[in-house]
Amino acid sequence: MMVLFELDDVTFSHNPTLPPVMDGFSLSIEEGCRTAVLGANGAGKTTFFYTLLGVNKPQKGCVLYNGNPIDYSKDGLRSLRSEVAVVLQNPDEQIFCSLVEEDVAFGPLNLGMSTEDVEARVAKALADVRLSGLERRPLQQLSGGQRKRVAIAGALAVDPHVMIMDEPTAGLDPQASMEVMELAEKLALRGVTVLISTHDVDLAYRWSEVSDVLCKGSVAHTGDAEGFYSDVAKVHSCGLLVPSVFSINREVSAMRGTDPAPYPKSPCELLAKFGKSKRSGKVVLIPADPEEAADRLDSAMNDMKGACSCIYGSDVRHALEGRDIDFAFDGVNACLSRAVEGKDSVLLYDKIYDPLIRGQIERLRTFGFDTEAVL
Amino acid sequence: MTDTVLEAQNVSYSYSRKGPKVLNGMNIKINKGVKTAVLGSNGAGKSTLFSVLNALYKPQGGRVLYKGEPLSYRHKGIIRMRSEVSILFQNPNDMMFKPYVEQDVAYGPENMKLPKDEVERRVDEALFTVGMEDYRKSPIMKLSYGQRKRVTLAGVLAMKPSVLIMDEPTAGLDPQMACEVMEIAEQLHETGVTVVMSSHDTDLVYSWADEVRVLGGGKCVYSGAPEPFYEDRAAVQRAGLMLPSVYAVNKAMSSMGAFPETPYPRTQAQLSVRMSGPGKSYGTLHVIRADKDADVTSVLSKEGMKGLPVGLYGISARIATESSGTEVGYPYNGPENCIMRCLAGSDAVLICDPAVVESAVSSVDFIERNGYGKIPVEMHEAVAPEKN
Repeated sequence: MMVLFELDDVTFSHNPTLPPVMDGFSLSIEEGCRTAVLGANGAGKTTFFYTLLGVNKPQKGCVLYNGNPIDYSKDGLRSLRSEVAVVLQNPDEQIFCSLVEEDVAFGPLNLGMSTEDVEARVAKALADVRLSGLERRPLQQLSGGQRKRVAIAGALAVDPHVMIMDEPTAGLDPQASMEVMELAEKLALRGVTVLISTHDVDLAYRWSEVSDVLCKGSVAHTGDAEGFYSDVAKVHSCGLLVPSVFSINREVSAMRGTDPAPYPKSPCELLAKFGKSKRSGKVVLIPADPEEAADRLDSAMNDMKGACSCIYGSDVRHALEGRDIDFAFDGVNACLSRAVEGKDSVLLYDKIYDPLIRGQIERLRTFGFDTEAVL
Repeated sequence: MTDTVLEAQNVSYSYSRKGPKVLNGMNIKINKGVKTAVLGSNGAGKSTLFSVLNALYKPQGGRVLYKGEPLSYRHKGIIRMRSEVSILFQNPNDMMFKPYVEQDVAYGPENMKLPKDEVERRVDEALFTVGMEDYRKSPIMKLSYGQRKRVTLAGVLAMKPSVLIMDEPTAGLDPQMACEVMEIAEQLHETGVTVVMSSHDTDLVYSWADEVRVLGGGKCVYSGAPEPFYEDRAAVQRAGLMLPSVYAVNKAMSSMGAFPETPYPRTQAQLSVRMSGPGKSYGTLHVIRADKDADVTSVLSKEGMKGLPVGLYGISARIATESSGTEVGYPYNGPENCIMRCLAGSDAVLICDPAVVESAVSSVDFIERNGYGKIPVEMHEAVAPEKN
């Protein structure tokens, strides 16, 4: 994989009289890699993100983007920020305008795009976060969760190569969090490199391919999460805790005297590893456009009496609003868990998620579980 | 028989005359000494309900009862009420009024017109409980978000409330700090405070709460133990919630015939125990009860305890152990980690605040209730060294 960002021995301090907040900081971010940035409060996560955006200019060491040092001139930064977008933890820190559409248009307008292009971008970004129809709504009338989605739409509207999300699920209720994570998956599938910082170690463990752990301004770990969480003393000294799925797998493996690897990352993988079902339940996979979602669901449920209906992706979910759905959120995990239990289900999803879902089914195979999935 | 301490009867509230009713016929009871979690999606009315229960807002319809008496909204009544029913708001910056830590913590007790030395004593005690003793004279401006959260918690504790309402107490905190806040909540519960909490962290709530109240459409739509609620998938979905993963995995495992569904495991360690089955022989759990001045080193050097993995639980245990320089393997989730070691056949040491010993060893009872035998528990007392 190609290295997108490279930080080499970076030192940064907000003020020469203060101790540096990044010290001997070396890290590479690979293109297309779902990257979790973890660390206690004050570990330097936000400072690190601002360094990637060129807001913080290191006093020592260098930051390479696509192999070239960051150009801190006005034009250089503008071009960097047309490719690297950020969603801050508190949406109110990045919402500038009074109306939804104005705010989302802010980034593309700054890039000097034509009005038509800007409008198209805004419409697409609002559709992605499911806020279409609220274009002319004043921002102060929106809820915290909606404002968060406006901020995400604003970042999407610049059509970035890299999307940095600082605590994207903080303050959101469980279903809204699931939707944000679906959106992060969608971006990754579109080829955007997504970096997420979060205090939710369970969520990070399940989602990420690479975990970068920051501690007191430097990098304590980079690579797969298991390498980090296996060292309990290190986890504690970094201010973190072990994800619950990781911990359950470790304890059960230890007590049964079996190998902790392969490592389950989600509840359905935990079940596949330790459950003892004889056969797989049937999973009917339906990649669907929103217009056909209702019909396809009806016909599949007709063929499969007693099956559970599951959804993944905001477009189909929205199209099926008001319908009785068994698992309208986290549908992939729900339907695969049921398959492990030997129960049938129907999974309806936005077409873009096809590779993700096939990947999940493939992963279950590494736990010795063959899902009976049909299209 | 449970004792209702706080109750909303048919309460309605809206922020403006034409605005929607955020609370609309809300009936809810908080029972004394019961760890109660209030759940609901963003906008379900949790924070509004808390403000009504605390007499910060006066309902437009219905009434709120505290210990069976309707709230008085006169100045004196409100002051007395708030000293007994306190809220910890989600954002600490919303409730810091003074420039220095000690002033801020003293604000509540001073308003209660307590004598000066009593205020001092309470400030000391509250700052100790949240682990911020050393910051007494610090300007609040200089504190981090997590430290501010602790100071606001100290401010609430200094009023010695009999009911403490915590609105998203772990939001924005890193995992370890969240763990410490939950320990404080547990400690308050053990000392007789009725703790009510809202949180979006489904797993955290499930591991903590005795009972849940679920809000939706301005009403309380469920009241009781969490499991019957989670059993009703459609209701969970309507309320904007998700199933706790421990609950979901336990249910799936039991449906595959691995074990009966009950007793319900509430924590990851309890679930791990069920999934592992009974062990061959268990190690001994040594529990050292330690006040903050206690000398834990001499107890740890006793025969049979040298070199064992050490876990911590509770404020005083943390303080006593920190000053001793003992190497701690499990500074967080100490009880569960130590019990897991014992299940795997080795001995472990848990240094524990005397106030929370009972909850620390609750998983030992859980294992026994599963019919998996009993982990031997040995109690030890660490005492303060004699002063010369």
